[in-house]
Amino acid sequence: MLEMLHRYGPDLLTGFGLTLLTWMLGTAGGLVLGFLLEMARRFGPRFWVGWPIRAYVEFIRGTPFLVQLFVLYYGGPLIGLRLDALPAGVLGLSLYGAAYFTEILRAGFDAVPKGQIEAARAIGLPGRTIVWRIMLPVMMVSALPALVNFAIILTKETVILSMITVPEIMFQTQTMMSETFEFVLPILILALFFWGFVEVISRFGRRLERRFTHYLLEES
Amino acid sequence: MSLEPTAPASAHLRNVDKFYGDFQALKNVTLDIPPGKVTCLIGPSGSGKSTLLRCINFLEEYDSGEVRIDDRLIGYETPGGRRMSGRRLREMRRDIGMVFQQFNLWPHMTALQNVAEGLERVRGLKRAEATERAREALAKVGLADKEANHPSRLSGGQQQRVAIARAIAMQPRIMLFDEPTSALDPELVGEVLAVMKQLAAEGMTMVVVTHEMGFAAHVADRVVFMERGELVAAGAPREIFQNPADQRLASFLQGYRERNSLDF
Repeated sequence: MLEMLHRYGPDLLTGFGLTLLTWMLGTAGGLVLGFLLEMARRFGPRFWVGWPIRAYVEFIRGTPFLVQLFVLYYGGPLIGLRLDALPAGVLGLSLYGAAYFTEILRAGFDAVPKGQIEAARAIGLPGRTIVWRIMLPVMMVSALPALVNFAIILTKETVILSMITVPEIMFQTQTMMSETFEFVLPILILALFFWGFVEVISRFGRRLERRFTHYLLEES
Repeated sequence: MSLEPTAPASAHLRNVDKFYGDFQALKNVTLDIPPGKVTCLIGPSGSGKSTLLRCINFLEEYDSGEVRIDDRLIGYETPGGRRMSGRRLREMRRDIGMVFQQFNLWPHMTALQNVAEGLERVRGLKRAEATERAREALAKVGLADKEANHPSRLSGGQQQRVAIARAIAMQPRIMLFDEPTSALDPELVGEVLAVMKQLAAEGMTMVVVTHEMGFAAHVADRVVFMERGELVAAGAPREIFQNPADQRLASFLQGYRERNSLDF
């Protein structure tokens, strides 16, 4: 067993690193794109912007991530989008995450009391300032748990990238399994890795939540 | 130093109509708000008082007619013309303070931050200057010691006073109050009215939608009675409350007296 760890350890570590990287880039990309989509939907013309975004969200939510990834990776070249496995994977995660993030943000923005926005408009704050200074902090109280939750779901979607040969941890684990015919140990390592990974994100999420809700909890 | 009174503005509504779908909320309303005076809008709920008030800073978009602050049209480039740009609308709104029934403080900011926000981001003051002026405004409404509290740690009356401070810190030339005491417990109404009386005494132009007939009777220079989107009667408090010429006004006041069993 030690010998096996010695042999595959470095590959597993690289895979681990790559999983972290794809998750971070994919989540960040998904959040940014999700936010932009929500802004476009909220402030853009309904017909030309609102409906296409809605169709996009429904397509992403209505199809498996694996299928979307294949469409992007194998179908992309047909329209001139020739991507290596890693960038295709990160882009795929971002596009996938954006559809869910934008829905969470929409619900969050909708929940901001209208009066607080009117008060900001009445005082003459410009729209962009209202979004950043008033709406985002206020809506984070309700939206943050859902955002963190989906970020956690995304950690586990990264394993799908192994299907387009991104050498992340699932890919490395499968390689290890097929070369050693040892199944229990590799899959246990994989499970432990994800569990630990998610635990770290959960803790970080709770700290963020406290930051955004401190005013609701403060003592007199 | 910095909270010196500014020249009070007047407001003028001419033949203003407002529709919500088929429902006409304002029917051909014409009204002049004189500078430096207190105008109270009274009437049954649903009579269009709040809608009228909200047309003055264009939070409510009127459909036809004209609303002017001094002689500047608000909301449209020309009467019945294109919407004015966001920038110009914001510029006009700087001079118009507004206080809401539900206070509408920003919950994630302290009292001080609530007041300083507009000073920094609309008036463009430096942080230190904005903070100083915000403190002055809070002191003026008697809340100097609450500046670090978030709204959740303030009573309704205190929240409403912070909201007033937020508005006056911007040094508006006219102030709109939309039922400022209606959401308050009865024992907290007095502290808010006291602040408003002080503002009135300083010569602020004030338009107040209110169910506080006592305030209207004693503080208003002019009382306007509305019903079903129409301006029915307007005059000095004495005329309105003691010799109501209009039948609808008389029965509205009669109903109020019966509910509250008091005389004014």
